[in-house]
Amino acid sequence: MTNETMAPQQAEAFRTQTVRRHQIWTVVTRTLTTMAMALGMGFVITALVSPRPLQAYTALLTGPLSSPARIGIWMEDATGLILLGLAFTLVFQARQFSLLAEGQLHLGALVAGIVALHLPLPIGLHLGMALLAAMAAGFLYGLIPGALKAYLGASELVASLMLNVIAQRFYELLLTYWLRPPGAGYNWTDPFPATAILWRPIPDVRINIGLPIALMATALVWLLIYRSSFGYELRVVGANPEFARYVGIPLRRVILLGIAVSGIPAGLAGAYLAMGVHHRLILNISLGLGFEGIVVALLARNNPAFVPLAAFAYSYLRIGGDIMERTAAVGSDLVRLIQAVIILFLTAEALFEQLSHWIARRRHLHVGS
Amino acid sequence: MSEAEVLRAIFSVAFLASVLRVTTPILLPALGGLISELAGVINIALEGIMLTAAFVGVVVSAYTQSPWLGLAAALLASALLALGLAFFHLELKADLILSGLALNLLASGGTVFALYSLTGDKGTSAALASRAMPALNLPFLEGVPILGPILNQHNVMVYIAFLMVGVIGLLLYRTRWGIHVRAVGANPEVAASVGLNVRALRYQALVLSGVLAGLGGVYMSMGYLQLFQRDMIAGRGFIALAAVFMGGRRPLGTMLAALLFGAADALANQLGALQIPPQWVQMIPYTATVSALAIYALSQQRVTTRHRPLMFPRTQTRKR
Repeated sequence: MTNETMAPQQAEAFRTQTVRRHQIWTVVTRTLTTMAMALGMGFVITALVSPRPLQAYTALLTGPLSSPARIGIWMEDATGLILLGLAFTLVFQARQFSLLAEGQLHLGALVAGIVALHLPLPIGLHLGMALLAAMAAGFLYGLIPGALKAYLGASELVASLMLNVIAQRFYELLLTYWLRPPGAGYNWTDPFPATAILWRPIPDVRINIGLPIALMATALVWLLIYRSSFGYELRVVGANPEFARYVGIPLRRVILLGIAVSGIPAGLAGAYLAMGVHHRLILNISLGLGFEGIVVALLARNNPAFVPLAAFAYSYLRIGGDIMERTAAVGSDLVRLIQAVIILFLTAEALFEQLSHWIARRRHLHVGS
Repeated sequence: MSEAEVLRAIFSVAFLASVLRVTTPILLPALGGLISELAGVINIALEGIMLTAAFVGVVVSAYTQSPWLGLAAALLASALLALGLAFFHLELKADLILSGLALNLLASGGTVFALYSLTGDKGTSAALASRAMPALNLPFLEGVPILGPILNQHNVMVYIAFLMVGVIGLLLYRTRWGIHVRAVGANPEVAASVGLNVRALRYQALVLSGVLAGLGGVYMSMGYLQLFQRDMIAGRGFIALAAVFMGGRRPLGTMLAALLFGAADALANQLGALQIPPQWVQMIPYTATVSALAIYALSQQRVTTRHRPLMFPRTQTRKR
């Protein structure tokens, strides 16, 4: 009825809008349903191993909000995840499966640490230099699998996983043989000077100025993907490489740069862990954090605008998991199980097809024609 | 013979024997990867399946005190995981690579979670009295110089691994099933048009690849080591995939590539005793894999423009 009374263009615009709203609605429902299902499965597992599953799950779901210090820990953790989520958003945009973030993170932390400890610079410049060096390290390391993929056609997935191990060993090598104080019996460096530390504005709360930096990075990545010609090329290559080739997009260069550019936020994440979280280099600085960015990027549907939200949601679970382990002796690795289930369900296209068909029919009836 | 020469001989014999030992947990998943790749559904979850099998084998053998029951349970778990991957990809249309990665995360998190729930330890299964698969003494190799010490007295899984090269080769190239599987991988539309059940064949290929990876996982925790450690597979499932491509997607080539990676790994173990930082040595197998990947890709680019595995997933031909 509505459609008939409108001018054709208006009707078309209205339809597009309705379709778009419907798509967003589907995506949101689907993401939330997935998280709820994953949490439900987590609860079943908790009930199997814990005598007090309700107490454990309450700790998981409310723990991060229970004190200002814990909120600070949550924000601190989410900041790193935002940067890593952005890294995966960029590579997944071009449908490349380079998982180099973990290696780029180690190298980023390493060069940030070297600048922080061995390059005395005035305040402001020191911090900026360390962050820049970390970003450069991530970018340059990404050129290796990028070039292997773009110019030789070698699997970026396998190459990046091998390069991750190499970067991690290299980090350990420099840390234990050079960067830690000579003769020290421990595996960490001296604390960084105050000029190379991301400032914590609130005493006793771990939230630091890395968070606004990460949000700024989010805006920049969004602009890069949706408002630059490189971002357009990246998206076309991801959506349809044949078409990209046909319209003359330099496929190889786009793939090379796509994988390398994703190293910039990943390297920054490494610098953040060193300068914002630990204030020094430590042996196991990442503990696989580089891979957690995958679930953040998937939850955000590869749209950088949603990455902070996804990072906060996922980080909430991670911190809740730690609190659950300490208060209810249920292993925090449960969160990694939940993460895997989220990825499986989010990528299972047909799982929600029936559901969205049903919703589409209902909405169609409501719009009425 | 001088003493130095004798020492060198022993050293090299021991070294060659150790190459066989460290090749085994690469070769078994590589054969699995080969089958799945030839069927057109590359199994990225080999790593996680191996880890799960390693864990289940240790736990079941500890509680039943039978390594064989441990093996059976581990293989069952591997088959189920691979079946799950196949279900998500073939029925629910999940992206094969992402769902494979999800299974790896599931295995990594799940094994540590279960280990912690069972033993209170997050690192190793040292608290469990698990059993190992037996070593095999081949009487006809006893007393044979050089070959005897290299080939004899290995864990039974080592022999199974190398036996599997022949078995899988025959299966893929000499049976109707193998020809069908390869047809499905080469061109699913054509295979379907001549009446092959693409979906069923891919299910079977994935489950079989899971079982082979499971054998490799069992060897890791019930042969190579005799306990479970968190994330003990350490990338072997992915090195195995590299071996498939480097071996030209053929059983014998895959075995040779696995032996090469095994040699790099064994060399790293040998050099570990020297006075150089262990990190340099630990990088060797991974650096070797990346170099081999690059060299293989380079040679492929020169030779042919036909089907390119795992490379440009949707643009496999390079037209000029």
